[in-house]
Amino acid sequence: METLIESPNKISTTEDVKYKLVAEDIVASYDNVVAVKNVTMKFRDKAVTALIGPSGCGKTTFLRCLNRMHELTKNAKITGRVLLDGEDLYTNNQDPIINRRKIGMVFQKPNPFPTMSIYDNVAAGLKLNGLKNKSVIDEIVEGCLKMVYLWDEVKNDLKKPGMSISGGQQQRLCIARALAIQPEVLLMDEPASALDPIATQKIEEMINELKKEYTIIIVTHNMQQATRVSDYTGFMYLGDLMEFGETKQIFENPRNEITARYVQGQFG
Amino acid sequence: MITVEQRAEFRKHFRYNVGRRLVIDKIVKGVVFGCVIIAIIPLGSILVEVFTNGSAALSIEFLTQIPGAVGSGEGGIGPAIQGTIVLIGMSSLIGVPVGVMGGIFLSEYGNNRFGKAVRFFNDVLAEFPTIVIGIFAFVMIVLVLGNFSVWAGTFALSIIMLPIITRTTEESLKLIPITYREAGFALGIKRWAIILKIILAQAKSGLVTGILLAVARIAGETAPLIFTILGSSQFMSGFDGPIDALPLRIWRLSSLPYDSAVAQGWGAALVLILIVLSINVGVRYAFLRKRGGTRFKMVGGSL
Amino acid sequence: MTRLIDPHLTHLSELMQQMCDLSIKGINSAIDSYLGGQNARNEVHEISNQILNLYDQVGDLTFDMILRYQPVASDFRLIRSSIEISYGFTRFGRYAYDITVVRDMFGDLSECKNEVIYTLSGEIKHMINLAVQSFATLDLDKVRQLLSDEDLVDKYYNKHLPTLINSTNTKCALADALVLRYLERIADHASFIGESVNYIVTGKRKHH
Repeated sequence: METLIESPNKISTTEDVKYKLVAEDIVASYDNVVAVKNVTMKFRDKAVTALIGPSGCGKTTFLRCLNRMHELTKNAKITGRVLLDGEDLYTNNQDPIINRRKIGMVFQKPNPFPTMSIYDNVAAGLKLNGLKNKSVIDEIVEGCLKMVYLWDEVKNDLKKPGMSISGGQQQRLCIARALAIQPEVLLMDEPASALDPIATQKIEEMINELKKEYTIIIVTHNMQQATRVSDYTGFMYLGDLMEFGETKQIFENPRNEITARYVQGQFG
Repeated sequence: MITVEQRAEFRKHFRYNVGRRLVIDKIVKGVVFGCVIIAIIPLGSILVEVFTNGSAALSIEFLTQIPGAVGSGEGGIGPAIQGTIVLIGMSSLIGVPVGVMGGIFLSEYGNNRFGKAVRFFNDVLAEFPTIVIGIFAFVMIVLVLGNFSVWAGTFALSIIMLPIITRTTEESLKLIPITYREAGFALGIKRWAIILKIILAQAKSGLVTGILLAVARIAGETAPLIFTILGSSQFMSGFDGPIDALPLRIWRLSSLPYDSAVAQGWGAALVLILIVLSINVGVRYAFLRKRGGTRFKMVGGSL
Repeated sequence: MTRLIDPHLTHLSELMQQMCDLSIKGINSAIDSYLGGQNARNEVHEISNQILNLYDQVGDLTFDMILRYQPVASDFRLIRSSIEISYGFTRFGRYAYDITVVRDMFGDLSECKNEVIYTLSGEIKHMINLAVQSFATLDLDKVRQLLSDEDLVDKYYNKHLPTLINSTNTKCALADALVLRYLERIADHASFIGESVNYIVTGKRKHH
């Protein structure tokens, strides 16, 4: 059985690599507990990077540092730089609001605004930030709902309340809402963990499509999900980044022993 | 590993007094019901008393005319009705916005020592004897302006309203899960827009309930009115002058030794209760009905 | 607490162990009986069938594990390599059987000078043992030896096969040619086993 296996996405490792988002020397803590102990990660453009690790390893805290949401936690402290297209998001003259619009976020439990309709939910980021042109808003809403494969299911029910659809649809609605503000990067914190397997599958297929135009960073505790959707994977443990590389390499031949034990289910 | 035999062994120790527990269940249920009935009886009997005694006095003249000569049984409580409505309206104009903002402050920005202090003072104010607040208004407004006035009454009543609305607003806002605020932040929406357009909208029913509670409270306050509006037998002649109010009029009428006056007092009480009830129902209908009529199940959220 | 996959991995290693033992037995039997002039066709055929049976079991077990547990990292590499290595063992069984068939078909070969076969077969037996041990202990040194031994066998084979053209005894020449061929193939598969073991340890695959 001398078979030849060529790895399908042979990525050139040097020169012209487009890193959309770079996090340098991030140290983050809250309530005097250091959750992220000096992590540096680089995220490629138009690719999906997964963050895996046992509970409490700091991956969600790290994710929230990328769009300056960590500052909203009680007694939060953070040092380091986050460069989006080369520009540091943490320098003093950058209003966090502006940066949060360049980087969208989707949460674990679907949270569409209960008092708003489906249309208003998707348009919330636009309307509440002052955009008034109705035809532009219509266009954006339709485009985003199409991107998350929700358009055909709700196009006749746009005025229905945002919570009248199923859990999986609500999560896709939240993703459409995040995409409506035209971010460059999409952060996803365990987006499918509260959903049933079919809904999860739809989300994963959608991610696979979205990565053609967006940079996606997804925190997940489901390793099979990481192998299915991501191109690169970072493994975090107790606040440190233990290993980072192509997903295939991390799961077929991890270099770090703790990584190997974790992905094989020997702890965590 | 606990085996089948061990389980059977352990189960032998459980007490299977199901019969007795069902009986205790029923007894407790009965006791609880009984307590509820006891609690409702005073309310029921008051309503019955007021309705039976007051409805006799109702008539168009009663509702619209100024009081007649003392003891004559003629005239009406028109000015008092006007006064109560004016006072409720004016006080709400001040008390509701300030109270809601205070509630927003405490809920969204008040998780620190300053917030704790504000909360403490708010709770103290809520427990204040209203007669003392009336005296305070007397000193601050009546003595300064030189006469009893609507301003003074409004001032006193809004101080009474304030802590109630602040507290209920804060509690309603705290009930909204934090995830909606986070979603708003993640969309780059400014904080005040998140609070006003997203959070407040969800807390509507709690807010309205709090406001209605406060309104019902001040509609019936008598002591502060004594020191601030004086009462009057004429319709309102401007915000600078004295006016009448229903609690005041009820008190005055019932203290008179004439039967006709007492009967009018009952009528005024009935009117007061009817006004408070209709404000309640009207506001709830206006603000809280579910538009569109479709019931939807809350999936994913926690409300 | 053991993982769900662990008992199956243990079972897999037992199956592979049996295949190892059978392979060694089969090849030793085939070679010894050939050199000693005995007919061991039926016995070795039986061994080869047992190996094939185990190969089927290994196939079922490994794909079942992949389906159910989605193994990753060293679990995955071990399972993948076990599939490849178990195939190698079937080849050992098969070629051992082919060697006994030569003796059976050609009849008495006592007049043939079996020097070449004799030398080569010693080397082959050594390589089989190396292959089995390298898999059992995951020892990369043994893999290195295996690969260099295979080089030597290749050279030996290429040197001696053409000389058979000049042989005077057709029967002996044909028998020798066949057996040489089988021995060379056995050596090849032993080296492939070494490459699979290398993959288990280092995660690198050799591209031919």
